[in-house]
This record gives sequence, structure tokens and C-alpha cells, in this order.
Amino acid sequence: MIRIQQEPFDVSHEYDVLVGETGSIGAVVSFVGRVRDLADEQVCGLTLEHYPGMTESVLAELVDDAMIRWSLEGVSVIHRTGYLGRGEDIVLVMTASAHRHAAFESCDYIMDHLKTRAPFWKKEHTQEEVCWVAAKELDDKAVSRWRDK
Amino acid sequence: MSLTHINHRGEAHMVDVGDKSVTSRSATATGFITMQPNTLQLLVDGALPKGDVLATARIAGIQAAKRTSDLIPLCHPLPLTHVSIDMDIDMTKGGIHVMATCRTDGKTGVEMEALTAVSATCLTLFDMCKAVDRRMVIGDIRVNEKTGGKSGSWSREDTVAPGNAVPEEKEDAAGSSMSTALLCVRFFGEARDHARAGMLDINIEAVEPLTVAGLKACLIARGDFDPSRLQAGRLMVAVNQKMTSEDHLLSPGDEVAFFPPVTGG
Repeated sequence: MIRIQQEPFDVSHEYDVLVGETGSIGAVVSFVGRVRDLADEQVCGLTLEHYPGMTESVLAELVDDAMIRWSLEGVSVIHRTGYLGRGEDIVLVMTASAHRHAAFESCDYIMDHLKTRAPFWKKEHTQEEVCWVAAKELDDKAVSRWRDK
Repeated sequence: MSLTHINHRGEAHMVDVGDKSVTSRSATATGFITMQPNTLQLLVDGALPKGDVLATARIAGIQAAKRTSDLIPLCHPLPLTHVSIDMDIDMTKGGIHVMATCRTDGKTGVEMEALTAVSATCLTLFDMCKAVDRRMVIGDIRVNEKTGGKSGSWSREDTVAPGNAVPEEKEDAAGSSMSTALLCVRFFGEARDHARAGMLDINIEAVEPLTVAGLKACLIARGDFDPSRLQAGRLMVAVNQKMTSEDHLLSPGDEVAFFPPVTGG
């Protein structure tokens, strides 16, 4: 399940939806990304924008890729857009499988690729200014490690 | 303006070019052949039954250019000094872009040679692939540019005024009803801060060459977009919502988006 929304999400509700009545699920891993302070400055919030249409198709491809690499019972990806205040949730990736390794690794894989391929852009609001967040080289490195596996 | 191949009695005739001056002339024509994704993949893998498709099609285009006057009744034979054929496989659009450039030092233009080269290249691609794909469509064959001669340089970009444009032919057999002469250009993230608007329609005739890089140059020249002001080091591009590179060839109706590296999550 893939959703782009402005509203907050409820992790425990999403867990119930993903697991449902499926008896074969033995492991669920969830990652939640949040709006946090900068290293040297308190952040007021973020504005997140995306490319409607392309976002959904890129996320669907990432989930499909993960489904091919690991044996998964289910995947949920929810990403919020619009203005998000300090401490608010931004993104949820939840993976379900029979065994824990598949769930851990696929969740990590989807997040690494989401950060480098899904068309979202963040603008950071601090007391001083509003500026676009720059892409991090570390994120490119994180995604490149999956190519060798 | 009158038709030069018709004489005062309304009969077809060959124009006397004896008094025309010898100038260096060139012409570029393009076309597109639509194929199934599987066919394209076989072609890329070199796995088609008739062998190296692109190399054969290129030779066919060159040979055809040289024999244009044999095929087109009122076309003068002329000594070509150069013929080049470029083919670009486009997985997104599902087909191959074909471009031919012909040059001569002579008294008549070489646009018929360029058109013939594109046509023969496309026909050869069709012939080489028809064993696995009968649904291929050849289309969009046109002259894009010519230089030299009495009329000087000509390119589509300079000549078609909005509202005075020749109606575009249907893009393919499926034929979309939307205006096919436009590119839809979008800007996201920081790129939008340096663009005239978040979304612009650009007439395809204004873009030369018809690639992402050509479009970017056109946007900069018109003052629609100033990527030099980007804080982000890189500018990314997506065509029809798929990430691609600046050498990507564009087609009418494409949606082209410019944006900085993504920062979601």
C-alpha cells in the first residue's frame, strides 16, 4: 500500500491494516522518519513538496523491487507532504515477512532508495530563514551498497 | 509562391539549375519508428534473426541518400559530400529516433536526400525486425533544418509562428487528441524558484536540437529558467515522469520536469 497525504498517520493502525488476518507473517519492521533539529539550530518545521504521479510510480517500483529481492508478505509506504512541524512524522515504511531478516533489509532498502529516487523536496524553516534542503552524498553512498548485494 | 516543379502549362518538369550558384548546402531530417518493448530489447541485445540491425539500417540510409534522384522523378542527381545517420533507441517512447544529415557543394538543396535517407533507414529497421514485430509504425518524417542556397538557412524553430502552425500529424497509430506540437515543462523544488512559472508549454518548433539539453538552452535563452542560480549542484530531469539524462530525445506531447536532487524521507 502506497499513500501520499498531508494528514498524520497512525503507526499502530497501519500495523493492523498491514498484518490483518495473515497468519504467515512472523516479522514486521517499521521505520518512521521525523522532522528534527539541525546540528546547530532548532528547526521550526519543514515544507515538503512532491511530483504527483511520478512519486507514486517511483514508490510502486521500489516496492516491486523489494518484493523481488525478498520474500515479503506485505509493504506499506506512507509519505506526508505540505507543512510539517518540529517532531512530526514525515514517512512510514513498514515491511512484513515470515522471518526478520527479510523485513529488516527490505525496509532499509526501500528507505535508501526512497531518499535518492522518489521526487520529494524539503524546505527547512528555522527562526532565521527558510531554505531548500541539499541532497546528501551519504544517501548516494547508502543506496550504492545495494548494487553489490 | 508557386510550385517550381510545375511549368507554365501545368506540367511536371525538372527545374533548370544551370544558372544557380554552387554553395555549400546541408539538410537534416528526422523520423521515428515505433516498436514493441520486446523488439527493442532484442535489438539492443543483438538477438534478432537478421543480425546487426542498426549497422545495416545505417548503410541502407547512406545508400538511399546517394540514389535519391533515381527514386524521386524530378530530383536532380548531385554529388553528396557527406551523409550521416544517427539512431537513438528510446525505451520510454518505445521506438527508435532516426536522424539523417546530408551535405553537398552544389546547385540544389539536399533535403530530399536527407528525407530519403531517413525513410530507407526506417524501412530497413522494419525489414530487420518484422519477423518478431508486425505492429511497428514508421512516422513523423520531416525536414528539421537546411542551410545554403538562395533561401539561406532554414529551421523549423524560426519559421512556425504560434497560431500559424501547420497542424501536426497524429503522433502514432493510437493518436492522442491532445495538442502534439507542445512540450509540457515543469519545475519542482528549488528549480521552480528560478523559473518563470511552475508549468510552461513550449512549442516544439522552438527547440533545436529536440533533446532535453536543447530544451534547457531554449528555456534559458527565453528567460524562462535560470539554472545558474541553483544552490543545488546538480539539475535532474525526468521525461514523462521517468528520470533520464540531457541527451534524451524529445517527442511532441512529452512532459519534461527539471528539479534538484531529491530530498524526501
